[in-house]
Amino acid sequence: MFIIGMLVPNSSNVKIAMGAVVCVESDIRGDVTIGARTVVHPKARIIAEAGPIVIGDGNLIEEQALIINSYPENMLPDAEDVEPKTMNIGINNVFEVGCVSQALKIGDNNVIESKAEVGRNVILTSGCIVGACCAVNTCEVIPENTVIYGSECLRRVQTERPQPQTLQLDFLMKILPNYHHLKKTVKASSTPARS
Amino acid sequence: MATLLQPEKVLYLVRGEKKIRVPLSQLYFCRYCSELRSLECVSHEVDSHFCPSCLENMPSAEAKLKKNRCANCFDCPCCMHTLSTRATNIPAPLPDDPTKTTMKKAYYLACGFCRWTSRDVGMADKSVASGGWQEPENPHTQRINKLIEYYQQLAQREKLERDRKKLARRRPFMPQAFSEKYGLGTRLQRQRSGAPISALYGLSLKEGEDQKEITIEPAQALDEVEPLPEDYYTRPVNLPEVTTLRQRLLQPDFQPAGASQLHPRHKHLLMKRSLRCRKCEHNLSKPEFNPTSIKFKIQLVAVSYIPEVRIMSIPNLRHMKESQVLLTLTNPVENITHVSLYTCEEEDPDDINSTAKVLVPSKELVLAGKDAAAEYDELAEPQGFQDDPDVVTFRKSNKIGFFIKVIPQREEGDVTVAFKLRHDFRNLAAPIRNTEEVEATSEAIWLTHHVELSLGPLAT
Repeated sequence: MFIIGMLVPNSSNVKIAMGAVVCVESDIRGDVTIGARTVVHPKARIIAEAGPIVIGDGNLIEEQALIINSYPENMLPDAEDVEPKTMNIGINNVFEVGCVSQALKIGDNNVIESKAEVGRNVILTSGCIVGACCAVNTCEVIPENTVIYGSECLRRVQTERPQPQTLQLDFLMKILPNYHHLKKTVKASSTPARS
Repeated sequence: MATLLQPEKVLYLVRGEKKIRVPLSQLYFCRYCSELRSLECVSHEVDSHFCPSCLENMPSAEAKLKKNRCANCFDCPCCMHTLSTRATNIPAPLPDDPTKTTMKKAYYLACGFCRWTSRDVGMADKSVASGGWQEPENPHTQRINKLIEYYQQLAQREKLERDRKKLARRRPFMPQAFSEKYGLGTRLQRQRSGAPISALYGLSLKEGEDQKEITIEPAQALDEVEPLPEDYYTRPVNLPEVTTLRQRLLQPDFQPAGASQLHPRHKHLLMKRSLRCRKCEHNLSKPEFNPTSIKFKIQLVAVSYIPEVRIMSIPNLRHMKESQVLLTLTNPVENITHVSLYTCEEEDPDDINSTAKVLVPSKELVLAGKDAAAEYDELAEPQGFQDDPDVVTFRKSNKIGFFIKVIPQREEGDVTVAFKLRHDFRNLAAPIRNTEEVEATSEAIWLTHHVELSLGPLAT
């Protein structure tokens, strides 16, 4: 037998708050809540497989970014005792192009740069920057204002947190609707249309 | 068929002071001596200095003054990337009316890679975009400069005495001023390994200047040393604050132990070098002066004169079984080249690495000249070469593919074979002796090179 599509999640509804700009070409599945002033680019993927995802305000999720709340690797999807864990993402975060984020808890003002990977057991506090192509798969809480950079994932602490991308968000919220259809911002919407 | 492009598999032997085995792409060819040269048997000379980020040329004298560093560009002390200048708007009071504030631009340095900013070490934002940033001053500069002056004077005096002795021996009629002019300016004197202190002679004072005596006070040895702080052994280490060895040693003046004292330094200049054959003193490689240009004024690289052997496909190699390896031979010059291959003799002193016997084709291989317009010519005429199909598999403009037979002799380890490549070389650099004998200019000489191929491990 083969599986058509993917498993039916708990409840396939996407709650998009007023003021958020979510393009139709983005792929959002499962129980996802998106806060106000968040911009989700086309071809971004937010997949809530093993539990709901709650995304805060002012986030910027760029193309081909993947935010996935998936089952841990060694568990079968049909296992009985798996509890759905909610993935919480704070405000003013930036998920750059092509990054993969599976972290269950992300705070505020973090930046996950292009093609970075953040594992499930990592907890990002505030002001962390995961550099381009860095894979962080450890089981730890990353302290505030940490910068992870380089091919060996060196770390250093910076004195100030990265600035929220308000200018970029404002610009995108004006320009994106000119070129893309947006998903409806209703409290509880039906299965979103995909193109 | 994929070509095994790894150039390290095919090595050419260079017979210089040391026997070096290098791929052909890293070798130079001296047309005047008709020999291969590697980087170790040529002399390197500095052509020009330039900054790698702003690509600004700098004359050598100015470079020496600025300690080979660029005036405008900075390096991140944390990750050694180039720093970029960023601007923010800060409200600042107007000079006329202190109550009103206006937006002024403040500049700070930031690294795009590790997100270090100049505010991390406490450097205030500057109001000018460039030129406002100062490197911290080394507290020992005065003492070091004084010591350098003293030793320069000492070196000059020693040099004078040595020259005077030599003059007294050889040419008593030469004026004394001559010896100073024949200092380390000529190449011949530079190449001999003289006394180490003669290296400082180049930095000395101008000739004829009155040499006042410089005295230095010897360094004072201290009995008491500052005691360590009391919690030195018990204080927990704050890891993000500790600098790595690399960060520390890039600033040898200060060598800060804490990351909050890492100041940015000016960027190091890079240089363009020219290479010169040591035997005939001709230039082998001379780059252009402009830092943005990658071309060369003189470029005598080996790949444009010597036919290149490349491995095309290797079959499964088995111990003591004969297998055929497919090689390609490319002709870089525009006239027809004749190549013959020979196996190395039994007691060849160059043949130290081969672990297999090789049987090379006995006939001479003919390579067509390289025709730059041939790739655009659709109606390629078949070249009238009679090829033995057992030896030559294909022929394409200036390249042929041919077989060699390899019999691995050892049961384990990598298979390496060696053979000699003999080809004719027309020396276009030779001067025209007589206008009547036009053919004398393209007289062919035969060159032999020792080539080693590493064919990888035996098939299991």
